[in-house]
Amino acid sequence: MSAESRTVAREAWEETLGDLKAQGFAYLDLLTAIDRGDQIEVVAHVVEPVSAGQIRVSTRVPAVDPRLATATQLFPAAAWHEREAAEMFGLVFDGHPDPRPLLRRASPGRPPLRTATVLAARVAVPWPGAADPESAGKGARRRQLPPGVPVDWLDETST
Amino acid sequence: MMATAGEQVRAYRLAAEPGTRVLVASLGLACCAMEVESAVRLGLLRADADAADPSDRTVLLVAGTVTDALAPAVRAIVDELPAGTPIVSFGACAGTGGPYWDAPTVTKGVDQLVPVAQYIPGCPPRPEALVAGLLALPFGVAR
Amino acid sequence: MSPVAHGVIALLPEACTSCMICVRECPTWCITVESHAEQVGEPGARRPRTVSILDRFAIDFGLCMYCGICIDVCPFDALEWAPAIDNSAANRNDLVHDTERLAGWRMHD
Ligand code: SF4
Ligand code: SF4
Repeated sequence: MSAESRTVAREAWEETLGDLKAQGFAYLDLLTAIDRGDQIEVVAHVVEPVSAGQIRVSTRVPAVDPRLATATQLFPAAAWHEREAAEMFGLVFDGHPDPRPLLRRASPGRPPLRTATVLAARVAVPWPGAADPESAGKGARRRQLPPGVPVDWLDETST
Repeated sequence: MMATAGEQVRAYRLAAEPGTRVLVASLGLACCAMEVESAVRLGLLRADADAADPSDRTVLLVAGTVTDALAPAVRAIVDELPAGTPIVSFGACAGTGGPYWDAPTVTKGVDQLVPVAQYIPGCPPRPEALVAGLLALPFGVAR
Repeated sequence: MSPVAHGVIALLPEACTSCMICVRECPTWCITVESHAEQVGEPGARRPRTVSILDRFAIDFGLCMYCGICIDVCPFDALEWAPAIDNSAANRNDLVHDTERLAGWRMHD
């Protein structure tokens, strides 16, 4: 079943979720985020338990000011989802009762699911695919990069 | 159920070699836990090992993804066991991080915490691979 | 056990052209291929042909997530599933199987 989608302004986030809850969408199935470059998209799935109808609500916040009102007052189940989304995408959920990082308690570091964050293991480990037998003896034809790694990552760390 | 580290160890015997007592760190660490459960269902591990016999060779099995958040719990289980109890790592995650080798939240193998006596590769390994790995364990070295 | 059980991955070294496709597609970066180029003269051909000669093929089964992507993407069917299960090791480095050991896992020629 494809869920109905709604996109709302950041200011309307809490109110939209509150209205949906009042309409019977009382079960929070998921709350997560997606890095859209200049913006971070936050997505929530709410479910109406009797009909199992779902609605996908999303909003966008600027990557440089990634604040959003917490949904924990409406859906207590949002607490862990928001902690994880905050930790992984650098979001700040205003009013969250316990905003500690969920998974990397001791050393949060940079938000790992922002696409600009370099995953240390991918830099520390040499990519075995870099070897280029086709051009052996002919000089490298083109540089091979591991999939999903921004072109300048290796430059940043090779010096 | 053995009362240790929050009751997070279950005891089994290897059917093929009943003197081998297998403590399973049952932290529910991902799909490898299902394969261990499947070894029990297939009768490869027998669940009658709560009482240890002095002649038993006891090993600790760590199966599945160890995250940095969970690592202290694994460590606590190991610390409660007699020193020198061999640790067997089951599956790619417990061995090296496996599919999560680049993840910022996953420990890159349980050997980052404690020395491992035997690595059983696979993602997940088959229950038969668990038996083969336990039988291959160099007890003479570990004890 | 089923002959296609995901126990281990076998290599057919004579089928491998060292094209590196599997190495680059592997999500855990656990395949290593070393090769060199050689000129091969063929009767009737005007110029010698450059071919890649496989020096070493290795899979680190400590890291391998058994996704089978390498088997799927190989254009030359040089990799296949094999049912071996007895490949645990006391030493982490012994989980790395090189050409000979990988070739030994194959089920048929
Ligand atoms: S099965 Fe997957 S992880 Fe293993 S070697 Fe092949 S591509 Fe890599
Ligand atoms: S994709 Fe096939 S031919 Fe190419 S290097 Fe890998 S095994 Fe060899």
